[in-house]
Amino acid sequence: MVDSQAMLDKVWFILPEIWLVIGAMVVSMMGLSGTRLVRDAVPVVVCCFLAVAMAGIAWVYGDADRLAGIDLLMPQLGPYVKMILCAIGIVLAMLSVGLIDRPLEDSLKSGRARFDPIRTSRGEFFAFFLLSLVGAMLVCNANDLIWLFLALELTSLPTYIMVAISRPSVKAQEAAVKYFFLGALAAAMFLYGFALLYGSTGTVVLTEMRDAFAEQAAGDGLNRLAIVGMILAVLGVSFKIVAVPMHFYAADVYEGAASPVTAFLAFVPKTAGIVAIILLLGTVGWSGHGAPGAGGLPQPILVTLWMISVLTMTLGNVGALLQRSAKRLLAYSSIAHSGYLLIGVIAGPGMGINAVLFYLLAYGVMNTAAFAVLSGLQRQGEEIESLDDLAGLRHRYPVMAVVMAVAALSLLGFPPLLGFWGKFSLLIAGIEAHRMPLVVIALVNSAISAWYYLRLVGLPILAMPTPASESITHRPVPWARVAAVIAALGLVALPLFVNELLP
Amino acid sequence: MTLATLAMLAPRLAHEFPVADAAGPEWAAWILWLPALSTVLCGMCAALRVRNKLPAWITVSLLSGSFILTAMLFAGYEQPVTIHLVDWFGITWSDTTFVANFAFYVDRLTLLWMLFVTGLGTLIALYAGEYMEGDVGAGYSRFFAGISVFLFAMTALVMADNLLMLYLGWEGVGFASYWLIGYYYRKPSAVAAAKKAFIVNRIGDLGLALAVYLTWHAFGTVQYAELFAAVQANDFSAEAGGWSVQAIPFLLMLAAFGKSAQLPLYVWLPDAMEGPTPVSALIHAATMVTAGVFLLCRMFPLMVLNELALPVVAWVGGLTALFAASIAMAQHDIKRIFAYSTISQLGYMFLGVGLFTTAGAAYHVFTHAFFKAVLFLTAGAVMHGFAGQIDLRKVSGLRHMPGWRVTSYTMLYACMCLAGVPLVTNGFWSKDAIMAEAFAAVGPGYTALAIIALVTALLTAYYTFRVWFRVCAGPVHYEPGLEQHGDAAGGAFHPRPPRLVINLVLLTISAGAVASIFCAEWINGMIEGSTAAGGLPAVHEAHEGAGVWSDPHAWMPYVAGAVGLVGIAIAWYLHLANRTAADDLKRALQGNVVSAWLPRAMENKWYVDELYHGLIRAPLWLLGHILNLLDRYVLDMVIVDGVARIPRMLGRGFQPLANGVLQSYAVSMVGGVALIAILVFVMPEFLEMLNGWIGGAR
Amino acid sequence: MHLAEVNLELYIPIGMLVVMAVLFVTANMVLTHLMGPRTLGANKDVPYESGMNPIGSARKRFNVRFYILAMTFLVFDVEIIFLYPWAVTFAKLEPRSPEATLFLARIMFFIATSIVAYVYAWRKGVFRWD
Repeated sequence: MVDSQAMLDKVWFILPEIWLVIGAMVVSMMGLSGTRLVRDAVPVVVCCFLAVAMAGIAWVYGDADRLAGIDLLMPQLGPYVKMILCAIGIVLAMLSVGLIDRPLEDSLKSGRARFDPIRTSRGEFFAFFLLSLVGAMLVCNANDLIWLFLALELTSLPTYIMVAISRPSVKAQEAAVKYFFLGALAAAMFLYGFALLYGSTGTVVLTEMRDAFAEQAAGDGLNRLAIVGMILAVLGVSFKIVAVPMHFYAADVYEGAASPVTAFLAFVPKTAGIVAIILLLGTVGWSGHGAPGAGGLPQPILVTLWMISVLTMTLGNVGALLQRSAKRLLAYSSIAHSGYLLIGVIAGPGMGINAVLFYLLAYGVMNTAAFAVLSGLQRQGEEIESLDDLAGLRHRYPVMAVVMAVAALSLLGFPPLLGFWGKFSLLIAGIEAHRMPLVVIALVNSAISAWYYLRLVGLPILAMPTPASESITHRPVPWARVAAVIAALGLVALPLFVNELLP
Repeated sequence: MTLATLAMLAPRLAHEFPVADAAGPEWAAWILWLPALSTVLCGMCAALRVRNKLPAWITVSLLSGSFILTAMLFAGYEQPVTIHLVDWFGITWSDTTFVANFAFYVDRLTLLWMLFVTGLGTLIALYAGEYMEGDVGAGYSRFFAGISVFLFAMTALVMADNLLMLYLGWEGVGFASYWLIGYYYRKPSAVAAAKKAFIVNRIGDLGLALAVYLTWHAFGTVQYAELFAAVQANDFSAEAGGWSVQAIPFLLMLAAFGKSAQLPLYVWLPDAMEGPTPVSALIHAATMVTAGVFLLCRMFPLMVLNELALPVVAWVGGLTALFAASIAMAQHDIKRIFAYSTISQLGYMFLGVGLFTTAGAAYHVFTHAFFKAVLFLTAGAVMHGFAGQIDLRKVSGLRHMPGWRVTSYTMLYACMCLAGVPLVTNGFWSKDAIMAEAFAAVGPGYTALAIIALVTALLTAYYTFRVWFRVCAGPVHYEPGLEQHGDAAGGAFHPRPPRLVINLVLLTISAGAVASIFCAEWINGMIEGSTAAGGLPAVHEAHEGAGVWSDPHAWMPYVAGAVGLVGIAIAWYLHLANRTAADDLKRALQGNVVSAWLPRAMENKWYVDELYHGLIRAPLWLLGHILNLLDRYVLDMVIVDGVARIPRMLGRGFQPLANGVLQSYAVSMVGGVALIAILVFVMPEFLEMLNGWIGGAR
Repeated sequence: MHLAEVNLELYIPIGMLVVMAVLFVTANMVLTHLMGPRTLGANKDVPYESGMNPIGSARKRFNVRFYILAMTFLVFDVEIIFLYPWAVTFAKLEPRSPEATLFLARIMFFIATSIVAYVYAWRKGVFRWD
């Protein structure tokens, strides 16, 4: 029979998520309202729901008794990941203000058209926004493969639609279709992996799976099926974190989607994916199952992750070198950063995982800052894309230029910005785990990345404006710029609280 | 000094002083924050283009607040305390920690230094408010922001509770010094001097950085309280760490010699006189240059890690004193003379530290701060009044001119202090403490050193009074300098006597100088209760015959006083009574083939700048150009561009994969997964190889 | 595995299901043939008489409302799928026990989401077919 207390506890810890689902329903209805004020209030309501959810997270995880009894592989992931998801979610919501339905709202304002619910999609957009965040948050509470799968898909499915409706252009729809199909392929892959994991252990519950693996390891080594399953699952989930070989969609999709959505894509699914990978690996553990006398992940899995990490950071950085489009460049940079993140995953619990979580925060803030600059600017209502559009930005919009420079420097890992501390903790974790070659490769990659990040610093600050960049203007809505400034301030100020921010 | 005596001393030393183990009052943090606030406010004045004396008043009031707080801290002082301000560094990995917070370590040494730093800082800022009035609206805010930065950094340096914060302050005062020497940034010589000061100081800073690192390496902490506790508990061994522990005192020494302008790193200080005169008085005479002495006093327990360290300090100090004094004798620029005298007097202080008489050294620092500040401020007043004239041959009879009486007589008193006129001057007593110790102490060649110190005292008295007799005494005549004041444009030049504020500041500091005569016992007490408690008597050899001559402390006042008076008498003869005699003497020396080099070499500062130029700068210049060519043609063209091409070529190689076609993406993804699966499962040998390289086994 | 070891009795329900399915289809076809009114024509003879033409290229466009309607149907279809097992389990729970309350709250939340979806679809004009 059902253990009611355990079930109540499960629900207790997802109360913030339930609250956000309610928020999604509320905003989806608000978006259909005939009153413009109500429609315009949608992002505000989203931010309010997220802020309350943050308080809620603090509250539900403040319950020490329940937290002690919770049946999760890594309960400590929850509060930190959920907090940063909600906090950065608020900034991302600010980016998206005025993004959706702008032509429609303009024509409504000028009286050229009457309101028709079927033509509006602002409500949906923000509802999906919240649902995707909920999915990512739920990943932290997964204790079985089915929950994990559903949470991952809840993260991804809304993003497909967000990409499609983010801007009225064929490019966005093309991107959405690609994203959807490749996402489905990846889902099939990790689902197959899940099936093999179930087949090799006879359970879908992660904690039980851990015990089963421990038993296998104590016997004659891990089941071969389990290793295949684990590798397939990890590779499939690495679609979410845009790691090699599942990274192909990134550049096209990031370029096709509107900048605020791109910022979202680069952070939320990545967070969900990395947490999922950590949970999956948590079942085999970092104590060296299958490799007697050795620590770390079981060897085949370690080798796989090692290769993925190296290939991901290298391909990401190398790919970025050739880009002329700022968004494609940031897409490749997002790939490279996933490679860095995997160092922490390889290093394992303690320093490694802490570094990963801290890096997620850092990456979320600096990525948001960079995309916020792109979101805050336009040329005749169109997004700016090319790097050349940023040339000499300082002369026209000095604040945006500085934010872009700070974000790029932080992405590069320039001390004392937040990105530096993130990368620093990852590398320290790598060194502590005795993965020197990996750390060296990461450092070489960092050096390569300086080439293109410094272009992002130099172009806005040092270059002279060109006729093309002279035609850049602000977006009419200021919130993206406000978000940019907030994120940049975060990059500069948060390092002061590094000790408090480390999980 | 032999190893045996040191081995006897070290543990004794280590148990002499109390180490902080309590927390001090929170409000003391404002001693540091007030100058910082002042910097910010002056910066805002600069941004808002304030056109009045507001920056000066901000600085003076906030610095005086800092002084009052320091005095309150002193009044309430009972035992060494630490005061925590802000967490700064707190890194922990494995079982190693590196903790360095913004925190104060307050003991008597800290308080002694802070009292005169903030006190003189306030007075000199007051003076500068008047002195810099020509720049109101232009560089005025920048100037006071620089002064505030300096005071902030100096406070951090002196009050720090760990070596890292000390290092921050150390770099900070170096930066402030650079900022203020280069204050007249349109003047090429000022910019060059600023750069020279900065670069020469970097050599010393390197020493300090290495010393901090090695200290942390050897003792596992850079926090004074823990460090001194470790030293007190004899929880270290000079031999255990090998050369790295023994290197610490020498690295500290290097740092101190750089900051305090000792041989061979003194060359920046005379050039630093390009800065405004209040800066010379505050930074390059009274406070910053004593940071080196402070460093050695603060780290005194570490100075015994190598038995040769302190004798080296003593010898470098003694030789610098003589060397700088000999240069000062032949200069004509008043500020430069005082700069060389500063170097010379700093040499005395290091001599004192080297001879274990830290109390004497600290006393000399204290007295020197007062009289040297007065000397510079009076020189500044002359410069201010005579349109930048600073050549002692071109101004004469100052004391007979109306309005210059205070300047002349405060300068006279300061000169007397520097020359060591017996009984009534503080310099006499403080210098005496060091010189007597030089005769009393036993060590390698210390007798020679003592004689050098005595000769230097003679030279000092001579060159000091050379200035005063030339400038303040004698017949009235003057030539204006090159700076044209508005009022001099039309008619004849009229000197502008200093105003009330300047006179008040001069009198106040002179009074401080007089008061400091009676501070010897107090400073002894201050040093005894601090980390610099090396003021224990140096090892004296037991003298057989009793009587006055057996104890140098007993006869030294007479000898030193006599030497000082002789020096003054020579100066009087050559530069007042019979001014042509000096020129005759010079001509006679130059006429003689054997001695002709002497005056010329002294005038040209023993060609040290030229020597450095030839030995260090020219080879570096050549090397730089060779490396530049190498860099441009070999590194850049072949290696950098070549290597940089590799990632881009890789990128081009992978580009066809990113062709934007959905199906090919899907195929690539599945192919990638398949490839990884094959690599992992079909090629176990590959796995073994890769695994060995990755370092799978810890 | 030997055939004799297989317990054929276990397959009786499945056999019955197959028989019932066949009977149901046959009965429906026979009954409509006997009872329904008849209008003949080319359109009438296509297998999906209100849908798309099954002959010819499959790659052609047809009205997007089919999808929307299908998805709206899915909302309620899935709801039914969840409601059945829920109802079966709920009946076995002790009344007013915490489990029962939790069960009720969960299905209520689920139904609420369905209602929201329904209202949303309505407002969007899914049911307008013009």
